[in-house]
Amino acid sequence: MIRATPAADELDARIVAAIEAYALSDDAFLELARDLFAYQIAHNAPYAAFARAAGFDARRLPAAVEEIPAVPAAAFKEARLATFPPGETAVWFETSGTLRRAQGGLGSGGRYELPATQLYEAALLASFDRMMLADGARLRYLNLVPDSRENPHSSLGFMMRTVARERGDGADGWYLHGDALDVDGFVRDAARARDDGVAVCVATTAFALVALTDALAERGVSLALPEGSRVMETGGFKGRTRVVERAELYGAASERLGVPVEAVVAEYGMTELSSQYYDTFDSRARIEPRVKVAPPWLRPVVVDGEGRSLPRGVVGAIRHIDLANRGSVIAIETEDLGALVDIETAPGVTPAAGLVLLGREQGAELRGCSLDAESLLARRG
Amino acid sequence: MAELGALRALPAKRVISSIADAAERWCAADYPPRVRATAAIEARLGYTTPVVEYALDRLFFNVTRDALNATIVSELGSIDALDGVFGTPPAWARGVDRVTIVASDTTIGVALPPAIFALCAKCDVVVKDRSDTLVAAFFGTLAEEHPAFATAARARAWTGGDDPSEDELFANADVVVAFGRDEALRAIRARCGAGTRFVPFGHRVSAGRLTRDDLALLEGATLAERIAQDVLLYDGEGCLSLHGLFVEADGDELARAARVLAAAFERVAVEFPGGARSPQRVAEIASYRNLAAFRAAGGRGAVFRAADATLVVDPPREEPPPLLPRVLPLIAVDGDDAVAKYCAAHRLPVQALGVAAPDARAVALAERIGAVRVAPFGTMQAPPLGGHHGGEPRIADFVRWIDCE
Repeated sequence: MIRATPAADELDARIVAAIEAYALSDDAFLELARDLFAYQIAHNAPYAAFARAAGFDARRLPAAVEEIPAVPAAAFKEARLATFPPGETAVWFETSGTLRRAQGGLGSGGRYELPATQLYEAALLASFDRMMLADGARLRYLNLVPDSRENPHSSLGFMMRTVARERGDGADGWYLHGDALDVDGFVRDAARARDDGVAVCVATTAFALVALTDALAERGVSLALPEGSRVMETGGFKGRTRVVERAELYGAASERLGVPVEAVVAEYGMTELSSQYYDTFDSRARIEPRVKVAPPWLRPVVVDGEGRSLPRGVVGAIRHIDLANRGSVIAIETEDLGALVDIETAPGVTPAAGLVLLGREQGAELRGCSLDAESLLARRG
Repeated sequence: MAELGALRALPAKRVISSIADAAERWCAADYPPRVRATAAIEARLGYTTPVVEYALDRLFFNVTRDALNATIVSELGSIDALDGVFGTPPAWARGVDRVTIVASDTTIGVALPPAIFALCAKCDVVVKDRSDTLVAAFFGTLAEEHPAFATAARARAWTGGDDPSEDELFANADVVVAFGRDEALRAIRARCGAGTRFVPFGHRVSAGRLTRDDLALLEGATLAERIAQDVLLYDGEGCLSLHGLFVEADGDELARAARVLAAAFERVAVEFPGGARSPQRVAEIASYRNLAAFRAAGGRGAVFRAADATLVVDPPREEPPPLLPRVLPLIAVDGDDAVAKYCAAHRLPVQALGVAAPDARAVALAERIGAVRVAPFGTMQAPPLGGHHGGEPRIADFVRWIDCE
């Protein structure tokens, strides 16, 4: 039997309700996921073709979250994956695809398109409020991420512009311009925040944080950010030649910025998603392993090489089922490695699934004398 | 400090005989040092037993008196030239004093051929060995054949990273042979003396080409199985493994070729089962395959699974070969110009070109794409002992000529 395809407005309303409630039972998640999948295969032809090849269509919907066909992140470079006509695109973000494909190919990146920003903003703010602003602080945002005024197609820039606008004190600063980091500007504004007595949130990619702490160390500068300040680190080291261990990076950030290590919080997201993971509060007291938790409308699935769901504790590739991806594709496959773990919840409640990420170096073996894709890129310069 | 030149007093033919005799002992699968080495290599690299056994067979069955003699004669003109002034014009191919060889931690026994030829030249050889101690074990057999090898052929345990005690080893060597990635080779080169001859063997890729005429032969299964062997052996992770197959076909014809190859992969995978894979490799392969499946669903190309291998038909030209274990892209081309254009666009450092039957056209293509070897399918990963691996001579680098005018 073919279910009636829900309308976009109806889906958006149900998703926003889940976001506002910050709660979604397993059954409700599956029901909404199935409806969203049905909607997307009705309006997103490339995804429908991919799903059909996997054995799913309007007559046969996935019976479980784990069955939902997940498109590789790099597919956004191959086709326009949207449920609405190009003329209705309100915002688009440039995707890099996964590391291998992004580095290996000669072509350009893909696009993650949104028909409107309300759902996207609601999702990101709800998570940010709970995971970064649980104390309700109104912070000053010092951003070491792309400035969305300079790069309107950076999803990270859009996110932090939204957060700064909605949750900031109006004196936010932006210090990453192209590949250049304005260290002087950052130091000046950090001092001003201290003078003003306003706690800050330093939003930064991991690589920019390395550059900042290196620069501060070179100058012999250790800042003392106001009490209550925090760091949101994201982005890892994709595409970078220098990789710094998390313990070293967080230690340096703590020392140079004057914030406790537990105030350095990792956010995990990707351009192809509308939602983000954050370190659980319990795991922030240590550096490794940090455990990530998804908001209720986002579910991680860890799979083996055949796409089979793996039990908790087993390392595999991470798929994301993001109900806030209403306008594109509900399920995204990555090459990121991780394992699901139990997160303590209230007594008598089934533990939720947390996610422990593994770095690429932790999962790679080196064998043979064949060139690998990353070395090929390095040769190509 | 061991005394230098322990092999100098021996005639080259005696050295060669000892090496060949030692290799012959290693040809026996139940030779205890080989049994131990096999297990250690499996543990180090995760390859299956049949693959490691095949590799060791290939390594030691090749090291015969005839093969050693033929290689030396082809490069130096005579075996006797290693013992003193000989021939016309009279000259002595005197082996250099010290040779240092850095083995690769990712391969099986690559350090042995250069070590063997350096010993044939009567050099003192030190090999930075790997955890499986294959080289050390073979040197032990050599010492049993003749005690001079105990001092002339030494293996040092690999400690990883920069070991200051190794500086002398590199700085004082006349020749340093190194296998590894670009960054490792650069680091080793920097530690060599100004006059040291440095012979690097970097990581490379290999490709194959099927012409329109070859496609008819593909139906006969033998050719397809040879191609499959070049992909599956060593899980396709060697520099001589087949990483991309250029096919002069498109559309249905290309898909038909892929189907024939997939069937051959199934058969050959029985003989060469896949080794262990890390979660990262598994994820990368799955991602590449699923991306190809996404394209196929949209009408572009196709994906075939065969045992634990993947064939991807007609991937975009903008994409380099995936260089993933047991994954073969079939790239549609309309001739050798397209092959050369693809290799140039992706700056592929091509080692070998596999073809159905080597001919002048294949050599011309090899020259254009920078390959140093043209080999029939099925033999890509089984080069002869005397072959110019990496385009380099086997023994000539280890001698200095003394002309007697």
